[in-house]
Parts: sequence; structure tokens; C-alpha cells
Amino acid sequence: MSLYLQPRQSGAAPTPYERKLAGAIEEVFGTGVHHLEGLVKGLNALGIHSPGGEAWTTDTFTDEIRRMGA
Amino acid sequence: MVNRLRKAALTGDEIFATGMRDQWHAVCPSDFVARGDMKKIRRLGEDWLLFRQSDGTLRMLADRCPHRGAPLSQGQHLGDRVACQYHGVQVDGGGTVVSVPGMPGCNLEGKRLVTSLPVREVAGAVLAWFGTDPDAEPAPLELPERLTDEGISHFLCYAEWKAPWRFTLENLLDPMHGAFLHRESHSMFGGETSAKFRIRETDRGFFFEKTDQRGVNFDWVEFCRTGIDWVDLEIPYPPTAGPGGSFGIVGMGTPIDAETTAVFFWRYRRVEGWERDVWRFLYRTKLEERHWVVLEQDRTMLEAMAFDADQAENLYQHDLGVIRLRRLYRAQAEAQAKSLQEA
Ligand code: FES
Ligand SMILES: [Fe+2]
Repeated sequence: MSLYLQPRQSGAAPTPYERKLAGAIEEVFGTGVHHLEGLVKGLNALGIHSPGGEAWTTDTFTDEIRRMGA
Repeated sequence: MVNRLRKAALTGDEIFATGMRDQWHAVCPSDFVARGDMKKIRRLGEDWLLFRQSDGTLRMLADRCPHRGAPLSQGQHLGDRVACQYHGVQVDGGGTVVSVPGMPGCNLEGKRLVTSLPVREVAGAVLAWFGTDPDAEPAPLELPERLTDEGISHFLCYAEWKAPWRFTLENLLDPMHGAFLHRESHSMFGGETSAKFRIRETDRGFFFEKTDQRGVNFDWVEFCRTGIDWVDLEIPYPPTAGPGGSFGIVGMGTPIDAETTAVFFWRYRRVEGWERDVWRFLYRTKLEERHWVVLEQDRTMLEAMAFDADQAENLYQHDLGVIRLRRLYRAQAEAQAKSLQEA
């Protein structure tokens, strides 16, 4: 009997862009900033922009993260 | 006359080894069986056929044809029934023989000869009622509130470990291993390496908790019996995981057989709105992998333990939760064996 051991169960592997964005989000959170405005500002300051290349606003960020977090 | 499989009554030792009867157990993730598919699966030491009808309804049958005992799992999915590969006898999802093609009108037709377990699908998993009396109604099932609360988001992580089910549950009733086994991990690096524990009774089980530390490491666990056995526990995330505080785990362990266990960990967090979306995004991109590393530390330890590791222990105060759990299951296994013998 082969036993089921599958590290990834939550969906498709992240794309390189998603990995980069996730790393930046962790970096901002790691500074203790846990509110939306601070996060968006932090991402823009790191130069991690939306997939379209624009700076984030709270609206574009919440839309995009809703899609990617689904 | 028809024959139905009657096994010798299970002994207390057998029940203790292969799992408690007359309760619900988690079986596998729901997506293991797609619409129109079948899957052979072993649980509580017996072989079963999971079979999803073309209307989406999931069924769980004993994997044994009522004609001459061939495994139904080798047969053919016919939408709302299975045809045995050996001589074509057809059994529906409720376990009733609906056709004997080799001998139309045969007296097997219309008889319910195959055990069919009541199943439910909850939070991405299949749950089934393993009754000792196949005709008795299942007991009510109260679901872990963390899995039904709208304000809580969760992911199921499922795995199969080569370890007895009791080890997997005892591991969850042993918070202190967090500060040692998982010291090198994303979530359990903090806190004291000594503690004093207490048991706190609830109306559905008990808490086993540190008296001198909370919210720093794996500091408490609640054991719950609500028609299904599960634990609830919480572990803090580091600041990099963002808003929402600690994550929790609803854990279950279902015996596959005496040496193998299907483990279910629903990792959950109380998050809504963008916080929920960010957590789910980070889980998929970063956290799932780190959680997995922690789980592998558990698996490696439990699989390396001798099957009779619990036969010559020297326990101390931190093991009160484990002792309590064992006593409870041991007593229940004996009680179930006794009532089976009397039946
Ligand atoms: S054994 Fe299944 S049809 Fe004969
Ligand atoms: Fe652990």
C-alpha cells in the first residue's frame, strides 16, 4: 500500500510573480505593520507592483488578493 | 436463505487496535472520489468501496460482492450502482442487489446484502458512521464549530502515516513536544521548555493545558467527542503571517489498519475580508510548505517509534493528557467488545 504524502494540497503551485509578491507581503508584515494601508504603502516602497505594473492602491490590492487568495 | 457476512465478534484488543466503533470517523478528502468514480479504501481494518454516483451522491459499501465475495472495487461503475466483475451481479449504493444478470428473477434481487455506511461530506472531507449494527441509525454528529463558523477560514491537510492511530492522537494530546520536536520551525520556536499542566473538564471532553504559558507555543489542546472524535488546538504565527493572530488545528486520526493512520489536519484562522484573502494567498505560496515541514517532524518521530513503544514507559506530569486518552479508549474498546459478545 502506498501512503498518501502530498505536501501541496491547497492548489496549483505559485507562479514566480506570486512568490515574489508573497515574499514582499511577509517582509512588510514582519515589520509589525498589519493594516491594509500600511501593507499597500510597504509593497509600493519595495517596488513590488501589481501584475499590470502600476503602484498598488488599497482597492487594486484587495481585488487582486481576493482573486489570488481564492 | 441469504448469507450476510458475519464476523466473529471483535475483542477489546482488536477494537483498541483498529478503532472505536459506533461513531463517525473522517475517511478521506472528498476530492479523492470524483463524480462517476470509485475508490477502494481500507479503514478500521476493513476494505471499503467509495463510489460517487453520477448524481454526485457519495456511497460507501463493504468491498465484497454478496454472490461469492469478489471485491466490488474491481467492478464497473454503472451510474447509480456497481456491477461485480466476476459474474455481473449489480449492487446499488444502499447495498441492495438490484440485478443478477446470469439468473434473472434470482432471489438475491431486492435484498440488502452489502453493508453501506452512512456518509456525510464536511469541510472537504468524507465522514462515515462505523456502526456495529449495520441496520441501526447513526448517532447525531456535531461538527467542530471551527469548520462551520463563517468567520473562520480553513485548509484541510490530509496524510497517511505508518503509525498506529493511538500514537497520532497521543501526539496531539502532548503539547510539550512543540517546544522540543518543533523548536526549529516557523511557529514553535518560542516559550519555555518546562511547564506545569492541568486537565480541565468540559461537557464534551477535556482541555489539557499549560498553567503557566498561553499563546506562545503549542500551549493547550481540547479533546472533543461529539459523535466524532477530534482535537482543537492553537499555535501562534510569527508577525510575518500578518493579521488574524494564531492559527488553529482541528485534528482527527482514523485507523486505516492497526499500523497505519489517516490523519486530518484542518488548519484554520479567524480572518475575514482582505485579511482572509491574504492569509489564503500566503498559505498557498509560503505557509503550506512550512506547516508541512512541521508535520513531517511528527510523522518521522511517530513512524520511528516501536509498535509497542507504550509498553514500558516512565511517564511524568506532562503525560496526563495521554494517560487520560488511553484510559478512555481502552475502557470503550472493552465495553464495545462486551456488547458485541452479548449481541
Ligand atoms: S462474485 Fe460478484 S458476481 Fe459473483
Ligand atoms: Fe507536532
